[in-house]
Amino acid sequence: MQRKPSVYLMSAMAITIAVIAPLCLPFNIATEILIFGIFALATYLLLSVAGLYSFGQAAFFGIGGYVAGYVYINTDLPLIAGLVLAAVGSALIAMVVGMMSIKRTGIYFMMLTFAFNQMIYYLAYSWHSVTGGEDGLGGIRRPDLTIPGLGTIDFSSHLNFYILTAVMFVAIFACLYQLIRSPLGLVLNAARQNPHRTASLGFSVYRAQLLAFVIAGAASGVAGALFAMLYRIMPIDAISWTSSGTAVFMVIIGGMSSIFGPVIGAAIFIWLQGFFSLIWARWPLLFGVFIILVVLFLKGGAMELFDRMRRLVEARLQRSAR
Amino acid sequence: MISLLVAQLLNGLAIGMIYALTAFGLSIIKGLLNVPNFAHGAFYALGAYVCFSALQLGMPFALALLLSFVVPALLGAVVEKLGVAQLMNGPYLYQLLFLFGIALILEQLIIIIWGTVGLSAMPPEWLQGAFDLGFTWIPKYLVFNGVMAALIIATVWVLIERTRLGSQIRAGIDKREMAQCLGLDVSRLITAGFALGSGLAGMSGGLVLPLLGANSTMGAEMLSIAFVVLVIGGLGSLYGALAAGILVGVIQSVSSVFVPSASTVLIYVAMVATLMIRPQGLFGER
Repeated sequence: MQRKPSVYLMSAMAITIAVIAPLCLPFNIATEILIFGIFALATYLLLSVAGLYSFGQAAFFGIGGYVAGYVYINTDLPLIAGLVLAAVGSALIAMVVGMMSIKRTGIYFMMLTFAFNQMIYYLAYSWHSVTGGEDGLGGIRRPDLTIPGLGTIDFSSHLNFYILTAVMFVAIFACLYQLIRSPLGLVLNAARQNPHRTASLGFSVYRAQLLAFVIAGAASGVAGALFAMLYRIMPIDAISWTSSGTAVFMVIIGGMSSIFGPVIGAAIFIWLQGFFSLIWARWPLLFGVFIILVVLFLKGGAMELFDRMRRLVEARLQRSAR
Repeated sequence: MISLLVAQLLNGLAIGMIYALTAFGLSIIKGLLNVPNFAHGAFYALGAYVCFSALQLGMPFALALLLSFVVPALLGAVVEKLGVAQLMNGPYLYQLLFLFGIALILEQLIIIIWGTVGLSAMPPEWLQGAFDLGFTWIPKYLVFNGVMAALIIATVWVLIERTRLGSQIRAGIDKREMAQCLGLDVSRLITAGFALGSGLAGMSGGLVLPLLGANSTMGAEMLSIAFVVLVIGGLGSLYGALAAGILVGVIQSVSSVFVPSASTVLIYVAMVATLMIRPQGLFGER
C-alpha cells in the first residue's frame, strides 16, 4: 500500500486553504465554507472511510447549534464552554443513535439514521421554549475569548470570527486525517471492504464504527455551533433531512478519493448556494438538477475532474516530448 | 371523552390506511431496487396536487383519483428508466442521491406551479355529511377514505399474489439474479414496480386531499412517516408496512387527544421502542 502523506504536510495544505479562502471570497462566505467543510469532513469519515452511509448527520450539526446557541443566550459561560458542550451533546446523542443503528447494515442503517434525524427535527420543532421552534433560535451572541497574558479577542469582527473558524477547521482536519491513518482508521477501512473478515481477525467492527460515528457527531456538533454563531441564529432548516442530504452530496461532489474532496465539495456547494439563492427563490430546483448531473456524469466529483485534467496534460506532454 | 377517543380512533384508522398505502408503495420499490426512494414523499404530494387541479377543472372525483395515480406512476417510470436504472451497477449511494435530487426538483416544481399557500378541496356531494353512530358522528368521507384504501390494497394484493406479473415481481424481489436466469426481463419489472409504487403514493395523496388538503410540506412529512412505518413493519416483509401503517396512524391520532404537540414525536418513540424489543421490525426476518 502506498504510504499516505504525513499529517504535517496535509495540515500545511489545510492552513494554505484557510489563508487563501478569504483573499478570494467575502468573509462570511469563506467562514461558511470552512464551517461546512468541517461538517463535510465528518460525513466523509463515515461515508468514505467507515462505509457507514448515514443520511442523518444534520441532526448532530443541529444539536451542536442549538446547544451552543442556548448556552450563549441564556448563560454567561465562556466561548470554549459552548463549543465543548456542543461537541459533547452531539457526541452523546450520536452514541445513542449509533448504538441503535450500527448493528443494522446497509439500507436499514441509512433509513434508521434518516428516521432519527426526523425525530430530532420534530423534537426541535415542538420544543419551542428551548429551540424557538419554527422561527429558529435567534439572538445568539459571539462571546469574547480571554487568553491570560495575551488579552481579549472580540469575535464580533468578521476577521476574528473567521480566524476562530479557521483554527477549528485546521485542528479538526488534522485530527481526522491522523485518525484515518491510525489503527482505528485501518480497521474502519478494512471493515468497509469486508466486515466479516475484519471481525474474524479479532477486531470489534461494531465498536470501531460506533467510535467513528461518535467522533463524526462531535465534529458535526462543533460545525453546528460555529454556524449558529456566524449568523447569530440557528434556523430549524439546518437540522432537516435535506441538510443531511446536502452533507452527503458535498462529499460526493468533491470526490471520495481524497480528504480534500469534502472541503472542495463544501466550497462548491456554498458558492453555488450563495450565487443562485440571490437570483432565484426556487434555487433548490437548480441544486437538484446539479445533483443529478454530477451523479450521472461525474461520479468521482471534483477530484475526478482534476484527475482527468492531469492525465490530459500528461498525455499532451508525453506526445510533445516524443 | 369516550366519544372523542372513538372519533380519534376512527380518524387514526383512516389516516393509518393512507400511511399503509404509501408505505406499501415504498416497500415494493425498496424490495425491487434495494434502495429507499427519497422521492416518495414528493410523488405523494404530486398526487394530491394533481387531484386538486383535476377537480378544479370540473372532472368527477373518480377520474381525479385515477389521474393522481397515473401521473406520478408515469413520472416514476421515467425517473427509473432514465436515472435509477443507469446507476444500477455502482454503489447505491449514487441512486440515493439521484432520488434526493428528484425530490428537490419535484418539491420546487410543485411550489412553482401551485404556490406555497395550502389548498383544500371538498369531497364530492354524495360523500359530504356524516353518519350518526348514536354517541358520535363519523364523516362519510372518512369512511370512504378507509374503504377505498382497503380496496386499493386488496387490488394490489391480488395483482402481486395472484397474477403472472405479480409472481414475476415477487421473484424479482426475492432473487433478482435467479429471476434473470429464468429469462425474466428484470429491468422492465423494476420499472413496472417503481411506477406502481409511485402511483400508490400519488393515489394516497389524492385520497387524502379532501381530508387534510395539500401543502408544500406534506411530501417531506409523509416521507419520514413512510420510513418509520417501514422500519416498524420490518424491511424484509412486503406486507408488514400495512399493519405498521395503521398502527402509526392510530398512535398519532389517539395521542393527539392527550399530548397534541408531541403526537408526531410519539411515532418515533414507537419506532425506537420497536427497535429495542424487536430489532428486525414487527414482521421482518433476521
